[in-house]
Amino acid sequence: MPSYQLTVNGRTRTVDAEADTPLLWILRDTLGLTGTKFGCGQGVCGSCTVHVDGKAQKSCQTSLKEAAGHSIVTIEGLSKDGSHPVQKAWITEDVAQCGYCQPGMIMSAAALLKRKAHPSDGDIDEAFADHVCRCGTYPRVRKAVKRAAGGVK
Amino acid sequence: MTDRRDFLKIAGVAGAGLVLGLRLDAKTRPGAAAAPEFAPNAFLAVRPDGTVRITVPKTEMGQGVRTALPLVVAEEMDLDWAKVEVINANPGPDFKSMQTGGSTSVSSTWGTLRKAGATAREMLKAAAAARWNVDLKSCRTEKGFVLGPGNQKLGYGALVEAAAKLPVPKDPSLKSPRDYRLLGKRTPRFDGPDIVTGKAIFGLDVRRPGQRFAAVLRSTVCTGRPMAWDAGKALEVPGVVDVVKVPTGIAVIATNTWAALKGRERLAADTTWELGSAQDFNSADLETFMREALTGPGEEARKQGDAEKALVAAAKVLEAEYSFPYQAHATVEPMNATVQIRPEGAEMWTGSQSPNKAQATAAAALGLKPEQVKVNVALIGGGFGRRLGTDFSTEAAQVAKAAGGGPIQVVWDREDDFRHDLHHPATLHRLRAGLDASGALTAWAHRIAGPSILHSWVGQKTPSQVLAEANGALDIPYAIPAIRVDYAEVAAPTPLGWWRGIEIVPNVFARECFFDEVAHAVGKDPLQLRLDLLGNQGLVKFGRDEADIRRLKKVLQVAAEKAGWGRKLPAGRGLGLACHAYDGRTYAAEVAEVSVEKGQLRIHKVTCAVDCGFVVNPAGLEAQVEGGIAFGLSALFTQITWEKGHTVQTGYQEFPLLRLGDMPEVETHVVQSAEAPSGIGEPPVPLAIPAVLNAVFAATGKRIRKVPVDLSAI
Ligand code: FES
Ligand code: FES
Repeated sequence: MPSYQLTVNGRTRTVDAEADTPLLWILRDTLGLTGTKFGCGQGVCGSCTVHVDGKAQKSCQTSLKEAAGHSIVTIEGLSKDGSHPVQKAWITEDVAQCGYCQPGMIMSAAALLKRKAHPSDGDIDEAFADHVCRCGTYPRVRKAVKRAAGGVK
Repeated sequence: MTDRRDFLKIAGVAGAGLVLGLRLDAKTRPGAAAAPEFAPNAFLAVRPDGTVRITVPKTEMGQGVRTALPLVVAEEMDLDWAKVEVINANPGPDFKSMQTGGSTSVSSTWGTLRKAGATAREMLKAAAAARWNVDLKSCRTEKGFVLGPGNQKLGYGALVEAAAKLPVPKDPSLKSPRDYRLLGKRTPRFDGPDIVTGKAIFGLDVRRPGQRFAAVLRSTVCTGRPMAWDAGKALEVPGVVDVVKVPTGIAVIATNTWAALKGRERLAADTTWELGSAQDFNSADLETFMREALTGPGEEARKQGDAEKALVAAAKVLEAEYSFPYQAHATVEPMNATVQIRPEGAEMWTGSQSPNKAQATAAAALGLKPEQVKVNVALIGGGFGRRLGTDFSTEAAQVAKAAGGGPIQVVWDREDDFRHDLHHPATLHRLRAGLDASGALTAWAHRIAGPSILHSWVGQKTPSQVLAEANGALDIPYAIPAIRVDYAEVAAPTPLGWWRGIEIVPNVFARECFFDEVAHAVGKDPLQLRLDLLGNQGLVKFGRDEADIRRLKKVLQVAAEKAGWGRKLPAGRGLGLACHAYDGRTYAAEVAEVSVEKGQLRIHKVTCAVDCGFVVNPAGLEAQVEGGIAFGLSALFTQITWEKGHTVQTGYQEFPLLRLGDMPEVETHVVQSAEAPSGIGEPPVPLAIPAVLNAVFAATGKRIRKVPVDLSAI
């Protein structure tokens, strides 16, 4: 089986797996990082969102081959202790319901605020257009993003 | 109700790791030596270090029971919330009825959990009083401490051994709501910190040593069975280790999920099927049968006066047909379960809303006794009724058995989840209203036609079926002299299940929209006509429930007032409302503000007023209202349709759930009540669609009677 190297949450990892394996399953099944969720595998729910070189990307639509050599950050690596401004805002606004879609939402929020410190409502709509939350946490997601605005370096 | 037979007992020593592998709280230190605990009942245990473990007898699926239920115990015990650890119960002798649904988690456990907490509090107090040799009555409790008449102060942890030796009081006094420090205040979700750091363990996140992953190739038609298959190409996929036949299909087993899915794809190409009788099922035919059933014989759900006679005598009769489609639960976490079979029994990890049933059905599949199957309830990535079913957990047990014992995790992908959902069925509604010469409503007739969920669920027709399928229609709260509500079952082959809001969603949609039609037809304000016909009614009995119409009237008035009902709006904007007394327990009203511009519907705001009795956690209530409205609004545009026995929709692409940008502002108003808590998960759902469609009529003069909504008509 081919071998690939990638950086996950700051650590260099070597994985032996098929080139077409989605990064999602490398994270979840090979590396045991189950914080990144499987919702659709079709690129339309956003649950699997991680950062690839600082940008939000759907790990179910990113193959191992594409991810190799890049720096991946997952929800487990967003901060050591839940202290990332987005995570803190999420707690303050009590966003989560079932919580399943939330790691993906948080990763998208963090990437959005990194590229745009003070996003407009339209920016927020756009950043979350590919995220599904069946529990309907949307109003609080918007509030949490606004609360964290300006705080993401 | 949680069974009370084993309710009060003293357990001297901890069984460490009640839900081994599923502990979610960072505060627990796995591997800590078992220390003596004070556990006067199955719901709580005090440790010597003063931390308290509370066991939740219901399943968390986003509705907040892992916060709300422990709060009830903590309140009665006077605990320091920061020292509370929460674990999920396992079905068994202590927890015989963990079924979670119907917006009953708080109402069905409220009394038991208060008593559980009060029992512990009284015993800890008694232990302290004995130690200080003071009068029990002179002691009180506060934030995890017993305080004596002097300056004495002892933490609960220090009293563990002494309290465990005391007799259990039969009737501990309960706190007065006036003294509540936790209940009725906003408490953030207990699992929040674990969720935002990715530590929360859902069913799909369970990892056991040596675990394998399986994907099951199932027929896309519910009556289909594989006739012949060649596993060769599947087995060539690196990581695939086995291909086994199970009752639901053929399972591909692999060392990782991706290999299992890929292997299954190969296998699918090399499998032939016998599709069975359901292959002819399609939505168009069903609609024809339902329409026929709108005028054929029906079973009576409510009869008041003689509606048919009154309709004949009416000066004017209005009639309309309403239509609601099949729906999918579409939880973001697909179905899954992990099973390990050992010589002495089996263990399962799964997100189930019916843990006891999951245990029983898995045991039956494995030839074991229920008590030989330990079920660990994982966090659920969305339930909405889907996980009341045990099809997926039973299947996982069958896969584990066929594959040599596991541990094995059966993973459904998104397409499996849509195709093999226990769908909420379609219905057609025929509504007729009779008006006298003055425009007064004299008769109301509501015929519902569609497949029966209850019939599908229990496998046969039952006497209560008609009441279940007409829920939301038969309890029309308006005082109309003659009312007839009936139901005509239409057979359909695929398995059905309840979703969030149950039959009340389609029935209240039809009822509240048609009522709006009546108001406009007689030139009355829809709010005023509702208030007039709620009138001065008090308690009214409907079928199995009794509703207090005064409480319904109150929430309607509050919602209308807060939403500014009657205010002047720009052209193309409109307000619409709907109200309902959910099972005679929770009263809710919603007002939607919408605009329609160039065929685009925009829902600006939904104002909701609720009376669900005492509110345990206002933060949780608001989340449920927001989520319930989102769930209801999503259904404006989603549907499942059938072609040749299988669903046309296989993913979120074809099932356009509400996204963040579509979500309206939600404003929640609680009408304070001294009644016991009643439930809030479902009541907001059924009002969203009629409120919006009534608002669309107000904005455009166009009446929409069919879901999913076709905006090209406006
Ligand atoms: S799992 Fe990747 S977008 Fe849904
Ligand atoms: S919180 Fe449940 S799906 Fe978003």
